[in-house]
Amino acid sequence: MPRSRSWALEKAAWSTRPHLFRRPIASATAPWRPAAVLDEWVQKEARPISLRQLTFFGRTLTENRLLSSANYVRMELPTRLAHRLRDMQTLPFVVVTNPHMSHVYDLYYKAFETLRRIREIKSVEDNEQYCKVVSETLQEHLTVIPRLAMGVLECQDLMRPEEMDKFMNTLLRSRISRRVIAEQHLALTETFNSPWHFPNAKSQVGANSEFVGEVFLRCNAREVVEACWNQASTLAKEAYGWSCILPDITIEGHLDATFPYILSHLQYVIGELLRNSIQAVVEGRSALNDSPPPIEVLICEAPQHVIIRISDQGGGIPNEVMPELWSFSKGPRSQTHLRNLSQVPKMAATMQELKPPNCSSDNSSTSNRDKKRSYDGSLGSLTSRPPNLRLGMGLPMSRVYAEYWAGLLEMHSLEGYGVDAFLQISKLGNKNEQLSTRASMDAV
Amino acid sequence: MPAMPARPAILDPCLIRIVCPLKQRSRRLLATATHQLPRNQPWSHPPASTSIDNDQVARLASRPLHPLTLADLVQHGRPPLSASTLFTSANFTLSLLPIRLAHRIQALRNLPFIVVSNPHISRIYNNYVHSLSTLLPYQERQINTLEDEIQFTEVMADLVQTHADTIPILARGFLECRKYISPGDVTRFLDEHLRARIGTRLIAEQHIALHLSSQPHCTHNDQHAQDGSSTSIGVIDTALRPAEIIRQCESFVSEICELKYGVRPTVIINGQPDTRLAHVPTHLEYILTELLKNAFRATVESGKERDPIEVTIAAAPDPSPSPPESIHLDPSRADPTTSNTPPGVTIRIRDHGGGISPENLDDIWAYSFTTFGDEELLDLGNGNADALNAISGAGGDSSSLAGLGYGLPLGRAYAEHFGGSIMVQSLWGWGTDVYLKLRGLGKI
Repeated sequence: MPRSRSWALEKAAWSTRPHLFRRPIASATAPWRPAAVLDEWVQKEARPISLRQLTFFGRTLTENRLLSSANYVRMELPTRLAHRLRDMQTLPFVVVTNPHMSHVYDLYYKAFETLRRIREIKSVEDNEQYCKVVSETLQEHLTVIPRLAMGVLECQDLMRPEEMDKFMNTLLRSRISRRVIAEQHLALTETFNSPWHFPNAKSQVGANSEFVGEVFLRCNAREVVEACWNQASTLAKEAYGWSCILPDITIEGHLDATFPYILSHLQYVIGELLRNSIQAVVEGRSALNDSPPPIEVLICEAPQHVIIRISDQGGGIPNEVMPELWSFSKGPRSQTHLRNLSQVPKMAATMQELKPPNCSSDNSSTSNRDKKRSYDGSLGSLTSRPPNLRLGMGLPMSRVYAEYWAGLLEMHSLEGYGVDAFLQISKLGNKNEQLSTRASMDAV
Repeated sequence: MPAMPARPAILDPCLIRIVCPLKQRSRRLLATATHQLPRNQPWSHPPASTSIDNDQVARLASRPLHPLTLADLVQHGRPPLSASTLFTSANFTLSLLPIRLAHRIQALRNLPFIVVSNPHISRIYNNYVHSLSTLLPYQERQINTLEDEIQFTEVMADLVQTHADTIPILARGFLECRKYISPGDVTRFLDEHLRARIGTRLIAEQHIALHLSSQPHCTHNDQHAQDGSSTSIGVIDTALRPAEIIRQCESFVSEICELKYGVRPTVIINGQPDTRLAHVPTHLEYILTELLKNAFRATVESGKERDPIEVTIAAAPDPSPSPPESIHLDPSRADPTTSNTPPGVTIRIRDHGGGISPENLDDIWAYSFTTFGDEELLDLGNGNADALNAISGAGGDSSSLAGLGYGLPLGRAYAEHFGGSIMVQSLWGWGTDVYLKLRGLGKI
């Protein structure tokens, strides 16, 4: 198809939305790439991993193990990317040519092309080179989430919301999975290279013993909630003014509940829920001067799960909104969200300067963690965005993160009173990542 | 095995006195319509004592069901109704009921032969056939004389009386048939059947109530009490206060609890206890009784009787301000109340009773048998009074905390009948949160 004709078509399609048609469509139609290579990778099955496998694998690091991990990642990344590329290719043409979606598609394709060509990793030097490539890719892909979200909102009328949500959920789940295995490998490499590491030692000593790569072995629910609360409160004060009266927080239940988890995931989800609650309470009671009712957190530990319940009295969510709560594309305020999202890529670009979120109370490990955190800026920048920058996707995103390790996130609203949020986490770490498998992709 | 009492052949005498001065005619009418099953009916194809043309049933069942709304029930105006409005109510009722009964007959006929051959199921089937046969004479005519209307109301009263014990009888029948029909099929059938039954009874009971409070049939004393001070429209209370119903149900359930366990947990009501809505008091009583029974049982059996059960009442804020002048019903308008979505009320019941285990959680909505063991079920055969009460408890009048396991699905059927819902959130290891949402009537 001649470029000029397709370009004109695209211009026509997007001219009905003049306010969005500001950026030039440099790659309105994607360059034609032969599909054979992609087909080959699409045929491969992803091999999902469990949290327990991640931690056990990293506990005793030998050179062999490190190289083994590198080769696992080397194969998994292009495989999982290929699956999502194929998903995107089967979306309607008009959706994928949206500038934001197209940007993400190109990023993914470029990463796929780079990563699939990497040869088997046979030495520590090979691994160093590999880690460099992976790290750069992770950096480059920081803009994916805001761009995707904007693309989805702009394409609201072009696809059925259920299908769009399914696509987004699959994509984000896969994205988390790729970043988890990539970051885990990078963290293990760093551990292997660090001055405290003794290659043949049975156990890890030093400040990193509570972490195996990205996995924090001893996430204590209460401490995480308190840390997130502090951060959320600080941000709220900055947004609403330091004289604003924030609600208190009470935490009760099984306060000792502790489990292994990827700390940044937990912080993101709990952070989102607490931010929503604080916002609802503060904004719902702006006319009142008395002290607001506290936000009540309950931690419940069972043999296989830990459930964290966050209850606020912020007025609740209207019944009409409830069915759209978990959707990326619906919602009454999507235009506002769209505008706000366009400000987020700026944050991602400067995320090196952003202070990472506070981790556990263990101070000695935070300095090491800070360095490691530098390549997971996307969650960090989202977690520390000002409260008035409402993106409308905190809940659907949180649910993707919660469900990633076979957990659950549920909300119940008492309209006129408040909201109860329930986060259920699988405690044993023996549940596999919830990926969209080949079988479910093939099913029509 | 104690036989179930045969359906009485005559109505409650005082009802007759009020309803109809022409006692003789009514008795004759009823006498021809009674039927009784032989006491020790063996399992075979039982003869129906009344028969209906298959064509009639098919013709009626092919007509669509009118989805009942609260607005339908109050459309005739506040009592006392004039004679002509009463006729309108009678004719409206007449337009709905035969179709509803025909649908039920058809559904019953489609159950497996061996199931409908069971004496209990067969009895219910015959009840429906009988009831439809009493309505067929009215098919071709309208009701516009007082005498006709009185007769019609007797037919309504007969209907309500005949089908009063449907649930325990069906329950027993399905229990006996459990080898011949899957639990899934039973649940599917009962879900549809019992939901339809709620509507059918409501239509009949509403007409009876309107009849009893109408101008031609009210005694002078009663009329005095009705002048403006009553908030009832038939079986609907337009100013129902859930907090009051909760206290009533609490007292009832506490009695049983104390009888069985020796302790009675307390109930705290918070939120907005003065909330009022328009709803059917008997429905709300049933739902709340069942939910409180579950909460009390869990609380006591996990040894937490000192921890109160917390009930929070929340009313959605009114979207449009209510006009200060008194509002009157206009019978000529088709639907006076749907200018905006009726406001919702959410009632949250929280207990500290340990929660529902993940294995049981999947089954709570099935019309199945409770977590009590088979010994209790065997007791049914031995005429053990306590267990027999367990069966009759499913109908709403119980002296046992553990029923047939019908409480939750039936409660949900009642809640969903007018657009509400029940959702259960279990915190296994701590307790359970139940969210009951009700939709009121809106502006009347």
